Amino acid sequence: MLYRTAGQFKTSYKADQALFPIRQDAVLLIAILIVAYVIFPLIASEFAYQTLLIPVMIYALAAMGLNILTGYAGQLSLGTGAFMGVGAYACYKLITLFPWMNPIVAILFSGVFSAGIGVAFGIPSLRIKGFYLAIATLAAQFFLVWLFEKWAWLYNYNASGAIQVPNTEMFGVYLTGPLASSVTQYYLVLVIVTVMTMLCINLTRGNLGRTWKATRDMDIAAELIGINLMKSKLIAFAISSYVVGVAGALYVFMWKGAAEPNLFDIPLSFQVLFIAIIGGLGSILGNYLGAILIVGLPVVLNLLPAALGLSISSALVEHLNIMIVGSLIIFFLIVEPHGLAQLWRLIREKLIIWPFPH
Amino acid sequence: MRHFTKLAAAAVLGATLGTAAVAQELYAPNLAYRTGPFAATGIPLMNGQADYFAMLNARDGGVGGIMVNAEECETGYSTEKGVECYEKTKGRAIVTQPWSTGITLQVLPKTNVDEIPILAPGYGFSPMADGKVFQWAFNTPSGYWDAASMILQYLHDENGSLDGKKIAFLHLDHPYGKEPLPLLEKKAGELNFELLPIPVGLKEMQNQSAQWLQIRRERPDYVVMWGWGAMNAGAITEAVKTKFPMENFIGVWWAGHDADLKIVGADGAGYKSISWSFPNAEAPVMADIQKHVVDAGLSQSNPEEMSGVFYGRGIVISAILAEGITAAQQEFGTAEIDASQLRWGLENINMTEERIDELGLTGMVPPFSTSCANHTGHSGGWMLEWDGEQFVKVSDHMLPDTSDYQQLIADKAGEYAEANAPWPTNEECNAEG
Repeated sequence: MLYRTAGQFKTSYKADQALFPIRQDAVLLIAILIVAYVIFPLIASEFAYQTLLIPVMIYALAAMGLNILTGYAGQLSLGTGAFMGVGAYACYKLITLFPWMNPIVAILFSGVFSAGIGVAFGIPSLRIKGFYLAIATLAAQFFLVWLFEKWAWLYNYNASGAIQVPNTEMFGVYLTGPLASSVTQYYLVLVIVTVMTMLCINLTRGNLGRTWKATRDMDIAAELIGINLMKSKLIAFAISSYVVGVAGALYVFMWKGAAEPNLFDIPLSFQVLFIAIIGGLGSILGNYLGAILIVGLPVVLNLLPAALGLSISSALVEHLNIMIVGSLIIFFLIVEPHGLAQLWRLIREKLIIWPFPH
Repeated sequence: MRHFTKLAAAAVLGATLGTAAVAQELYAPNLAYRTGPFAATGIPLMNGQADYFAMLNARDGGVGGIMVNAEECETGYSTEKGVECYEKTKGRAIVTQPWSTGITLQVLPKTNVDEIPILAPGYGFSPMADGKVFQWAFNTPSGYWDAASMILQYLHDENGSLDGKKIAFLHLDHPYGKEPLPLLEKKAGELNFELLPIPVGLKEMQNQSAQWLQIRRERPDYVVMWGWGAMNAGAITEAVKTKFPMENFIGVWWAGHDADLKIVGADGAGYKSISWSFPNAEAPVMADIQKHVVDAGLSQSNPEEMSGVFYGRGIVISAILAEGITAAQQEFGTAEIDASQLRWGLENINMTEERIDELGLTGMVPPFSTSCANHTGHSGGWMLEWDGEQFVKVSDHMLPDTSDYQQLIADKAGEYAEANAPWPTNEECNAEG
């Protein structure tokens, strides 16, 4: 009914291969963008910015980076947290070494460092794959976190060993640091995430994306049809780490405001991996759905008892929260092992052929 | 559909009831951690804090005639949840109690903008003592450099001199564990002892065989421990296993938790921990808590926990906050104080011996006072020793030698302010000196 495709004719291959072959998809996306760019900033509170909107977008971006590597190119990685850390520390050093540097430039440039490190740790992927590669990237995780702790130059010899985000401004508006307002940070994150998402969608739909998918599905066959596996894998590592690094820089500079080395430890990698898996590997939309479920839902659940006027002790709420989110994860994976994005894809297909099921 | 209508009606009703209950109270949230890896230490601390305010509310109708809502927001010791809780509570909070070095570092710059005092008793960033720079942060009654100073002083007095001694510094390899290093390094030069820092990684907290092997090889005269959570229990059991003389093993105040020592029992006798609080079961406040809170069924605690160091410390923390509230109420002539008035109150706490007795906290906390320049108070403390069953005081009231690190505090605070420029400082206070 809502997704009626009648009357939408495609007369060329180009039209058939378009980003939105069905008009309703484009309308839906425009609606979401209007909500994100106009409606949320009008109604959101400080709390909503800091605990829901900004973190969900940043986590979605990090998961998108991982998804390019794991979902599209088929290279399993457990080092996402550390690569985010590289982005964050690179951005910190850039801003403190070159105070004149525009913070947005610094954030986008810091991804280059994590891309370099990602490629270095991606080299083993030429020889090993699957779980073995996961272990190799796990080494990156341990090594980099150790480095953040030991190399005092990285945190400017700060007594506490943590990095603190300085106040930076552009055109008289504070962008980072405690003086920056949440709305500014929200818009900045939103714009960066939108642009990155567009890039990722186009990359994965294009030549490179098909190369990655071929590498993922059967690397020997891919090599036989003339795909340069080394190039394909290393580019995947570079682009994925770049996106993850930018997400890491945003994570600290646009949201947390301070970070200690163990923030980038394995739990963060797992969290991003869960978002990617539960959202759906090999899907861009899935990253957002996964981030909403894993990052956004617990916050909402925590608010629920108070909103309903129930007085439950906060520790009990936390325990309930863990149980509910945990069982939801299991539920979704049983109902749809390919993630929330696949769930949405099925719903959408059903809507298109409704009311006549196959 | 009918269900949804019902649900919506319930939500609206709940919201209106919720707002109705808000009126006429002081909202002093606590970012508690009763879950997660450090819950074992969090639970007694939170119970102590909660029970003290529950007792004040039941006995006196709150502080200065207004009820105190010491609501908890659960963080599980995670920085992410901590920020969530801070944002959730900051709207009408008069104080924030972040309860972890990570969360403290994170909210420290934010509170300066939001103008809410941070109360971080005995933890957090040591340079917070400088009230001229950190206008909104308080780590009363004692900071980590106070602890390091007192431990060295105790060892010095015990030996007459530390010349040529070897002290191993077993610490968590984390901002918290590194806090006292600048002072220890400085004193090592002055007193001519050898300092041997031995870091314990977060991942190997429970397995310290490598560290204790090193300790056994190096044969230090003393081991000073800056441990937290599972690391303490690990170190204490390992020390017993390697037959390290327990009387030469001293921990900071977060490494003096009864439950950690109960694991080894009598074998742990002689282990020491410096502390700015002491659980005095005979103190009048304990009787009042028993009567108004425990007997009324409002407490989540149990008798064993209530006799412990951490429960007692929780009480003292709430008492310090209540003292700050009282001071502010008296100064501004209103019961319903706001965050900036509480800051004045926390800057003007005067816990004299008489006042401590009056509050019923006899022997539970040493006397101290704060000022706009001195946000710590440097109360000093006591050396506690595990006698096999419980912690007992083995020293008189000790005072740290603040002259050792006055300059260090000012330097580090200045560095922080510079790195976070523009960082407002309290110029009026500078003028007073």
